[in-house]
Amino acid sequence: MEDDISISKGIIEQLVEGTIDDDNVDRLLKLPKKDSDRFFTYIEVLQDRVSWDDPILLRLSDKLYIVSKGHGKRVTQCECGFEFGDYRTNWKLASKIRTRKTAEEMKAVYDPAPAVPEAGWQEVREYFCPDCGTQHAVEVVPPGYPVIFEMLPDLDKFYADYLGRPLADASEDWYKDKTAETTATWNQ
Amino acid sequence: MATIAKEINNKVGSVSELSPPTLRQAVEKRDHLTQSNGHYYGVKELSLKASDPIKYERFYSKIHSSVLGARESARFVAASPGSREMGECLWGITTAEGDTLAVSTGFLSHTAIFPVAVRYMAANDYDVNDGIEDGDVYGVSDGLTGGVPHPGDFYSFVPICIEGEVVAWAVGINHLMENGAPVAGSWATFSVDTFMDGLVVPPMRTGRKLKQETWWKAMWERRTRAGTMNILDDKMRLAGCAMIHEATHKLIDEFGLDYYKQAIREIVEESRRRVVDNMKSTMVPGTYNGAAFRMAQYKGLQTIWSHADKNTLIHIRASVEPNENGLMVDTEGTSRWGNHAYNATPGATDAALFLGMINSFSHNTKVTAGIELAVQRNYPKGSILNPDNEYTSNANPWAQTVTLNNIGFGAVSRAMFCFGYLEEAFCIDGNWGAWQGQGTAKDGTAYGFTNFEWLGGSARGAWCFKDGEPLAWAAWSQMATIGDAEEFESTVPPMFYLGRKLLPGYFGSGKYRGGPGESAVHWCVEPGKHIGITRPNGGLSSTASVALGMNGAYPGPSSFMISARGTNLDEVNKKGLAPRDARELLEMTDSGELKVDDLQVWKMDCPELSMKNNDLFVDAAGSSGGWGDPLDRDPNAVIEDLNSGVCPDYDFVKEMHGVIAKQTSDGTWTLDQASTDAKRVDLRKKRLSESSNLKDWWAEERDIVQNAAFFPEVGLMYNESLSFDKFRKEFTSFWDLPLEFNVLEG
Repeated sequence: MEDDISISKGIIEQLVEGTIDDDNVDRLLKLPKKDSDRFFTYIEVLQDRVSWDDPILLRLSDKLYIVSKGHGKRVTQCECGFEFGDYRTNWKLASKIRTRKTAEEMKAVYDPAPAVPEAGWQEVREYFCPDCGTQHAVEVVPPGYPVIFEMLPDLDKFYADYLGRPLADASEDWYKDKTAETTATWNQ
Repeated sequence: MATIAKEINNKVGSVSELSPPTLRQAVEKRDHLTQSNGHYYGVKELSLKASDPIKYERFYSKIHSSVLGARESARFVAASPGSREMGECLWGITTAEGDTLAVSTGFLSHTAIFPVAVRYMAANDYDVNDGIEDGDVYGVSDGLTGGVPHPGDFYSFVPICIEGEVVAWAVGINHLMENGAPVAGSWATFSVDTFMDGLVVPPMRTGRKLKQETWWKAMWERRTRAGTMNILDDKMRLAGCAMIHEATHKLIDEFGLDYYKQAIREIVEESRRRVVDNMKSTMVPGTYNGAAFRMAQYKGLQTIWSHADKNTLIHIRASVEPNENGLMVDTEGTSRWGNHAYNATPGATDAALFLGMINSFSHNTKVTAGIELAVQRNYPKGSILNPDNEYTSNANPWAQTVTLNNIGFGAVSRAMFCFGYLEEAFCIDGNWGAWQGQGTAKDGTAYGFTNFEWLGGSARGAWCFKDGEPLAWAAWSQMATIGDAEEFESTVPPMFYLGRKLLPGYFGSGKYRGGPGESAVHWCVEPGKHIGITRPNGGLSSTASVALGMNGAYPGPSSFMISARGTNLDEVNKKGLAPRDARELLEMTDSGELKVDDLQVWKMDCPELSMKNNDLFVDAAGSSGGWGDPLDRDPNAVIEDLNSGVCPDYDFVKEMHGVIAKQTSDGTWTLDQASTDAKRVDLRKKRLSESSNLKDWWAEERDIVQNAAFFPEVGLMYNESLSFDKFRKEFTSFWDLPLEFNVLEG
């Protein structure tokens, strides 16, 4: 039998802050089995760091969270508090985008020159929070490529089956990509 | 000495009622039992493990030590540098049906493709006509019937038989120095079908009683350009297999055949359960999407094969969905196969996909076929991963399948980040390069070669809590090493290293940067009658290594090459100078210090480059992506990179990270914190002023899509991917276009 172990909140804070030392990282990497209570300690650490009180349901990215707004609302929210809307719609649709299409524009983000992607075959897309200007995502794709929905979590399954703590507003509807519903309205 | 079972009992596949099952029957039974209840071979209870765990683990440790020992001995018996010095080899043992029981260190994801050759032999009744005997030797290098990820990888299979029944296979693999294709080396970069891939063999018997037959030696000598090296490797693979063969017979003698047969099923089922448990306990369920692109530039290369005279922008698309039984990888939307070197097969695709899966989920259990049952795969028929043409070239699928691993492994990394297991979360890249070719020495001696250095070790991408490390990993092996320069100089007589170092600035930027990639300058000295070089890269810098950066960082830049032919290197050397990497070479040519008659930067595959005395071949590979918003990078880390030379260009980092620094008279950079704070505020404002609302951008881009205002390669790429329903639905619904919409060919 492997005993379930627990990792201190302090260590998880160091991981989030990027101040953890290599020895502790090594110990974490060599755990025979991961500590099963990590998720909720992690959420506790994250909740301490943000300026708002909305309960964090999941950390999507460094500064991007799915939070509960109560009354059956779950939204993607920036660390600054900006709401990107229902998490089932790709949050990038509510972001601002800067596209680097020419070699000259791409040279500002790739170095040395031979490493710059070929204009026309590729473009660099940068997705920003419209409020604080945080760069939440980068895509390097051909022109015309659909914006990539990087991750749609099945939150209810996660909380109920993996964590054993079902969410109060659980519903089958929550695991559904609604991105196209938004773009369908843009052409009208 | 290895033991050969008595001939009277060792022939498999005879027709008596008392005969053991044929291989075909064994595979059918295995599949029926596994499918009946989802447990490997129908095993619900691990009764041997429960009743006597010490005996059970002792049994497995003997199996495991046999393959570990095979590797550590055999590569010193005889081997080419790639196998002896680096991680380019592996030994394993499988069940009769080809399911892996254990593998050595080395390129371990080959474990997933052992069943391909065994199942082919079973389906084609190799054991019935004309029989499989204990200690036979089979060679395989065919992607379709052997699953190899490129024919440069060669497999040896040795059946282990007891009383007329195959009970196991010993397997040895390594990457050859040369495999006899029209384009010399071990990954033909120009190949329009399988007949241009070099020495490609479906499973075929090449020896008996643990000894290769004489004709087989002649094959290496006459059908490849590195006969001596390849014969050494052949001996190496067989030596390891012979050790495993002997150890397995002893094991069965000690534990008994009944115990062996039951224990091997429990071992695979035990590891399957652990892998599924690992997946469920570390991955947030949901749908993770990713993409990658790779250019195959064939247009204008030749005038013989007109059907191959076109460029192909290869699109790799995948979603990863964790589920009750493990996880599902769906590649629908990936490009169709083409008349180029980059087609894979399901086995070859598995070899790449399982890199991340094994590394992530088999670390605390026995590395067996259990993981294959936990990863469900959809490689649509007709795609580049599963061609509906049996003659496609499979010369270099590794150039694109590795990106599928990046997507899959990247999904695992993102899932663990979401779950809170940040120590496991880093940017995945597999940005490999190598160089290869053939030559004829002054005395007429012909030779072929591969230099594996940038396949042996590349940078690791940024972690979510620190920078990535250079040279520290190879996604395909635990044995990250670029090998000794001298070894490669000895195998390619006219080519010497002028420099071999990390390439400053060559990584994806972010809050944490990727590990820098590498670059070398290869100097041609007295090439004799001829030397020609090509480079079979993974991703090439015309596209990024993957489409998605991690959390606001930039994905790693891909590989490139520079050829500098007709130089004044003698004059430069007399001044005590020489370029040591790609950046230095370009700086020296820009300044006029190094004069070059024919300077070419290759962001796509180069055709064979003929090299003369004092010509230079310069390459760069192994870079990796960053993690997080570059404006969140610790300014002191930027200063450190400037002072160490990791970042050579102040103007670049000033705009990338918003860091203002001053340089003292001795060249040291110091931080101006106040100006940095102000610069970062300005850059955030600039981001917003230079960007558009997605809705406005969408309307403009939609016009481009509707008018197919793309380069021809991009239009062709969309046409191929739109022929798969899943991508068609995503593409047309995102752009709000009719489902039947088609992109014109530009």
